[in-house]
Order: sequence, then structure tokens, then C-alpha cells
Amino acid sequence: MSETEEILKKTIQVAQKNGLNEIIALMTKGKTYQIRFSNSAIDNSKIWHTELLEIFLAKGQKTTLIDVESPTLEKISMVIPQTGKFLDKMPNSFLYGGMETEPHAYQKIEGLYDQNIRDFSEKAPELVNTAIQSSLDAGAKKVAGVLYFGDSKKELMTSHGIDSSYKTSYYRLTIRSFVDGESSGQDITCGRNLTNIEKKFNQTGAAAGKIAKMAVEGKQGQAGKYDLIMSSTVAANVFGEITNGANPLKMMIGMSPLKNNLIGKKIASEQLNIVDNPHLGEGLGSRPFDVEGTSTSKTPIITNGVLTEILHNTSTSKMNQAKNTGSSIFFDFGIGSKLLAPAPSNMVYKSGDYSFEEIIADSKKPTIYITSNWYTRFTNMIEGSFSTIPRDGMFLVEDGEIKKPLRKLRLTDNLLEMFSRISAIGKDIQQIQWWEVQTPTFIPTIKVNDCNITSATQ
Amino acid sequence: MENGKDLADFAIDKGASKGANYVEARLVESRDESYTSRNGVILAAGNMTSTGIAIRVLVDGGMGFCSTAKLNKKAIGNAIQEAIKLAKASKRKTPITFSEEKTVQTTWKTPVKRKFEDVSVEEKQKFMIDLDKKLNKEFRLKLPTRTLLLDLYSDHKYIVNSEKAKVESENSIITVHTFNTAKSKRESEQRMQGRGGTGGWEWIEEKNIADIIFKDNVALVKTARNAIKMDLRKVDVVVSGEVSGIMAHENVGHPSEADRILGREGAQAGESFYLDLLNNGKLGEIKMGNEVVSIIDDPTIPGNSGFYLFDDECVKARPRYLIKEGKLNELLLNREYANRYGVKSNAAARALNYKSEPIIRMANTFFAPGDFTSEELFEDIKEGIFMKSFTEWNIDDRRFQSKYVGLEVYLIKNGRLTDTMIRRPTLELTTFGILGSVDAVSNEFDAPHGMCGKGDPMQGVPVWLGGPHIRMRDIRLGGN
Repeated sequence: MSETEEILKKTIQVAQKNGLNEIIALMTKGKTYQIRFSNSAIDNSKIWHTELLEIFLAKGQKTTLIDVESPTLEKISMVIPQTGKFLDKMPNSFLYGGMETEPHAYQKIEGLYDQNIRDFSEKAPELVNTAIQSSLDAGAKKVAGVLYFGDSKKELMTSHGIDSSYKTSYYRLTIRSFVDGESSGQDITCGRNLTNIEKKFNQTGAAAGKIAKMAVEGKQGQAGKYDLIMSSTVAANVFGEITNGANPLKMMIGMSPLKNNLIGKKIASEQLNIVDNPHLGEGLGSRPFDVEGTSTSKTPIITNGVLTEILHNTSTSKMNQAKNTGSSIFFDFGIGSKLLAPAPSNMVYKSGDYSFEEIIADSKKPTIYITSNWYTRFTNMIEGSFSTIPRDGMFLVEDGEIKKPLRKLRLTDNLLEMFSRISAIGKDIQQIQWWEVQTPTFIPTIKVNDCNITSATQ
Repeated sequence: MENGKDLADFAIDKGASKGANYVEARLVESRDESYTSRNGVILAAGNMTSTGIAIRVLVDGGMGFCSTAKLNKKAIGNAIQEAIKLAKASKRKTPITFSEEKTVQTTWKTPVKRKFEDVSVEEKQKFMIDLDKKLNKEFRLKLPTRTLLLDLYSDHKYIVNSEKAKVESENSIITVHTFNTAKSKRESEQRMQGRGGTGGWEWIEEKNIADIIFKDNVALVKTARNAIKMDLRKVDVVVSGEVSGIMAHENVGHPSEADRILGREGAQAGESFYLDLLNNGKLGEIKMGNEVVSIIDDPTIPGNSGFYLFDDECVKARPRYLIKEGKLNELLLNREYANRYGVKSNAAARALNYKSEPIIRMANTFFAPGDFTSEELFEDIKEGIFMKSFTEWNIDDRRFQSKYVGLEVYLIKNGRLTDTMIRRPTLELTTFGILGSVDAVSNEFDAPHGMCGKGDPMQGVPVWLGGPHIRMRDIRLGGN
């Protein structure tokens, strides 16, 4: 028996001995590396050795979640009884309707692990420096960014006899290049397969440098109504606020523009098709099973513009009399305690009919192309009224051409209204995950008509 | 803790023996107890502890970082070696060096009357349930969705470095957040509110937290019911401490962070428009706003959410006068960036936990209170608004173009605050647009709590976001 198996078994045993009747023990072991760089030089390199045991404990309908870092049999024997006593004082959770009880045969997902990750840490600093140089060669004057990479193994054991594991590796590079303080460009590459990684990194650096160069001498844009071309990065952030809301927990607490009574209704342009797909080898959110041990499955979220399904785990599917989509995670609001709730894996958009060049060429009237954004915030999350700030290259497109760089504008609009005004979907699907996009999203360039653009009054 | 302290000391010796020019070990033992309720029912609860050591080294001009929760000499030795290897691999042309600072060996702690672990779980839940009951009884369907989050965090830290500095601290932070939706026949309004401070469980009663939250929800329900759209153009605007606090934080605190100014956050939180100002002017001379504007960041105010007396680089904390009488006066610095500017650190280095590197952070950033009462701020306004709270906000990553959407907002007419509520007026202003329009500051002080996000991986650290009321003249509302 491996050390991890011993710890997982002990966790279940100790918990059962302490009167806890449903238990999930999930161990994640691995290494994460980070190389941060700015001003075209590496600032700090980090390594985290993860050895984290996440334990979900239920006694009837009372539930809690704890993390045990670098777990040992001794730590487990101490922490679980303490947590059992804590749980005794809790009321029942109305959100808990039980967990997965049947072991499943899990789909093997090809491509989750690339063994080249093992010696990647040796090459990574040099690859970063080469990517920086590619950006400088493309016209940047200074380059910032971050590279994450690593591998991990997740091993799951539950009190219902579920016992399985999978290994993953990944990389994620964000490069932001500057010609001057206000002329910048960003590009991202992420995935799991390290084949041709130097080329991918250099292309990313060059793309960021090219946008930065194009953004030079940008001028204050005029507020007003414009058609808007959103890069994959921007579309993933803005529309991610809708698809992340295809979640009964978020809907219940008013953090989603979606409602149960919208299921089956048209909420977006007919061109739009989005699937939550946990089975893509390159997908950074891919997983064969969820934290309860339910098989993951492809879940259509938007089909021809219609809200088709939302994500569920065992409990929320029972509450809502809906299909369990195998989407259970240890959900974290960022404040307060974690809980068992559904969340997306990879949001995957269906490719559209247009190349990026065609989208630009078809834009005859004044249109704004936004390459990156940040700081999306809401006046009202149920309404979907929000604004977000373009950063990096932003351009005026007119008569089918990119005419000039713009600056200092804000997109102030409504999420669902924008969903229904989508006028073109690109073919250039790219996986996006970065500082402003947590859910891995495979998404192309998307054009939305008649968006509201604002700017400072003084 | 004692074993961990020995290991931290061991890390310093080990790092020095392996050739590191600088070694720092930060042992953090933390406890985090939290509860989340929705409409009076506990949705989630947890109580977790964590212990680990962060190691940071400088070698050959490069910086390496490694953290571990394995508290034994083998693991610490490995962590040191890995951090050194990473630092060496950086191959920087310009070496990272730290400012010279006075070596301190000291302890500090937050005064606590009732430790979180000494308060029963039942009492903590009762606070949440009773508060929700009161809200439900008062508002029923007018406040249909109520989420309450209670977090009780405490830590014990031991920081030691190869320059013989040694700081041991105990801190304790309590926060209450609400995310509620009010509905009327016409509209719904949402509000995320945070209150927090350093101290023990006594903070709940001493600060009348239940009462503050109740009153806040009275205002939310009233806003959903009463606020009307008004086509106001150019008016005088008075904003409360909540709004002036977020402005001080976003428009002045963040751009004052020296790591942003010099580009280290370029790919994440962004840079700072101060870079251009400092290329063309000097601290103490650059005009940011009117003389009534002074903005301070002060970690040393007892009870503030970002309270500390020594930072995570063992430098003694003090108030930082970011803007003094309208002039740009001081930046926020850690040792690396103090050295770049050829000055001493002003102790702004903080790390979220043992897995995080210390970076430059704000603590509690606010407009220095003035002499006016709020009535005096209103009295010569012919037509204006009083923005008491805000909802949506954002700012560009150079920290120049900001937006604050009003939530609880009243019309000021002929020098008097009226009962007329205005729906979602927008201040879409540049930093100079704000600071240049302020002509009066009140003598009150309110201090909501916030989580300030920065860094990669994200480090959300507690801060106060408050201050006095400020009056801004001739503001054109709404984005262009």
C-alpha cells in the first residue's frame, strides 16, 4: 500500500470511527513552479511542493470541509476527531442531499500528462528569456509576465468505496509587453502538451510585442455605441461571467444573471454553442471524475442560443430534479468556508464561420477591437449590469481595416443583452486561463453589436 | 511553535552555508474558522489550521522562493537548496538587492480580549442566525436573498533573516461580509458590504456590528424602493468615508506602490501612472490635487484590518504620507524597491500566508480628516448629491481612470440634504479629476473592511477602506 493510500484509508477509518458517515478524502501531490518576470528579466522563481489532503465530512446532513497540509497519520488522528466535535454543533445543511454512492468506470482522458514536464524546470528559465527576446524583437521595449508549470496526482477515496486517481501536468504563460507606459500588448498560451513549447512561447512573446507596437500613440477614444470585437481573452472574461453562473449555488445567492426559468429559453444569439467539456486532453480543467467520484460528462450549456443545462453535483441535482453532471468541487467563495458545490471544468465554444481577418474586413462602420481587459465588476449580478476596462492594445476598426489605436475607454453594458447581440463568432479558438480568467475557456474572437462604451468625464 | 522556530533558525544557517547572500524564513501558524449562511441557514462552516515555513533567498542577484509544510530539517534543507537553485537560474543582468535597515529583534501582538477559540461555536452561529432573523422579520420579501459570511482568522508568525533580524507576532482578524439583494416592485439592488478589524470576538459587540449591518440593509431596501433616475449634469458631490476610502485606496494607494511603478506587477495588477509623473518631477513637488487633500496609509492604527507593527521583512511600520497638502509625498516601499530609490523601506511588505512572497501592500489608506462637519459640507451646495455607499467600481491598471457607481445616494438642494434618492449615479473620473475637485474634508471617520487583491498567485489581504466625507466641486455625472 502506498503512503497516500494508507493516509486516505486512515482518513476514512478515523472519520467513521468518530461517527461521520459520509467522507471524501482527496489527496493532491505535486510540484508547481512559477517564474515571474518584468522589465525583461526574471524577478523571482518559486516552487511549491503540494501535499494537500482535502477532507469532506458529513454526519447526516451536517457537513464541513478541512484541509490538511503535508498530512501524516498522526495529524489525521488529531484533526478528524476535533472536526467531528465541531460538526456536532452544526445545524443541518439544506444544501446537502447526499453524495455519490456508486463507483463508476471513468473515461480515460488522453493527454492529461506529458512526461516532458519532469525536466522542464531545467529549461524553463532559458525558454522564458527567449520568449522575452521574441517580444523585444517584435517591437516591445520591456516585457513582463508569468510562467506557471507543474504536475500533480490526485487520489480520491470515499466512504462509498470509490477509489481512483489521475495524473496531470500543465503550463501557462502570460506575456505582457510594453513599448511605453500606455502602449502594451498581451498574449497567453496554456495547455498540457510540451511539444514545440519553445515555438509556442516565442509566438506568444512575439504576439504580445506586436500588439504593443500597434498600440503606440493611441489617443483617447470617443464614448458612444460601437460594434465590439472581443479577443478570446476578453470574451472569456466577459461571457465567463454568464457561464460561471450556470451554477445553482450562484443562482441561489444572487451571483448569476441566469435563473432556472431560463432553462430551455433562448438567451443568446443562435450562433452560440457552449459545452462544459471535462474530457479535452489539453483542457486545464479536465478531469475524469469529480470530487465525489461521479464520472464527469460533457454538458451543453448553450445550444443554438438556448440555455440547455446548468451544472450540478449529487445534492443540487436532487434539489433541482436535474441530471447530475459530475461537476462537484470543493467550492470556495474566497471568503468563508468551502462547501461541496458544482463548478465548470472547461467551457468550450463551438467554432464560428469567420476568420479573424474576415471579422475585421466585415466591420465597415466604426467598431472597437479590444485585445485584453480587466476589473470586471457589477452594479447588479442578477441583472448582469457591469463594466470592464480594456487594457493593452485597443483599436478603432472602420471600413474593414484596423485604423488606429485608442485608449481610456470602458465597456459598460449588460451581459445577457450582449449575449443576444453576438453578430460573429471566429474560428480562432484558443484556450484562455490567466489572472482574470479562472475557468479554462476554449473560445474564439467574438463580435457583439451596439455595445455601450464610456469614458471619464474629467 | 518552538520546533518551527528552531527550523526557521536552521534555515538561515543552512542558506548562509550554501552561499545565499540573503536568507529569510517566515514561520506561520494560522487558524481560520468561518461560517457562511444563506437566509438564516448555515450553508457551510469550517475550522482549519495551517503551519508552514516560507524561505526566500537572494543569490547572485536572483531571488528564489520555496515554502513547505513539512517541518523537519530534511524538508527545510531541500527547500533552501531549491530556492537557491531557482535564484541562480534567473541569470539577471541587474542584481536584486535590499535596502539596509536597522536590525530588530522584537515581538508584537494584537490586543485580544476574547480569543476566537474561547467562544463557543453556538455563540458564533447565534450571532449570524439572530442577525438574519432580525433582517427577515423587518424586511421579509423586500430582502429575499441574504448571505452572511463570518471569518475568524488568527496567526502566530516568526520571521528571521540572515541579517539577524527576528520578529515574532500574534495577530487576530475578524470580518463579517454580507451579500444581499433587496427587491421592490420596480427594481432590485445588491450590496456586498464588509466590516472587519483586528481584535478578538469582543469586536462584534464593541463595534455594534449587528446594528451597523441592520442599518445598512435598511438603506439597501430603501434604495431599491425609492431611488429614482435623475438627469443631473454638473453638480457638487459629497461622498462618505466608504466612497472616499475606496478612492484613496484605488486612485492613490495602488499607484503609490513602488513595485507597480517600476514594472514588477506589469503582467498582473499593472503599472502606475506615477511613473510618468516621477520621470518629470520630484516627490514633494508634484501637484496631485488641492491643498486640502492629504492621503495617508497607516498600518499602525490599533484595530485596523491591516494592522501590523513590523512588516514581513522585519521593518518597523509607520504612517506613510502618500499625498501631503496636495503634493505627491511618499511611495509605498519594501526593501527591494526602497533600494531602487536609494531610500529606506517604509515597511509595506506583507504576505498573505506562508505560501506567498511578501510584496508591497497597503494597510489602511484614507484622506486625512479635515475640519468640516458633514452639515457644513452640504450647506453651500445649491444642487448636488451625497453618495453614501457605492456598488460597482473599477479602475484601469495604471490607476488613472476610475468609476464608482452610487448605491445609497441622496439629493442635496439649497444647502440641505433631502430625502430624494437618486438611482445609480456614476462618477467616471480620472485620479486628477477626483483629487483636483476636492475642496473640503470632514472630521468624521468611517472604516469599512476590504480585501485588497494583488500579486500572482493572488494575495487578498485585509485592509480598511474608509476615511472622512469629502466634497468635490463641479462634477459631471455619468460616463461620457
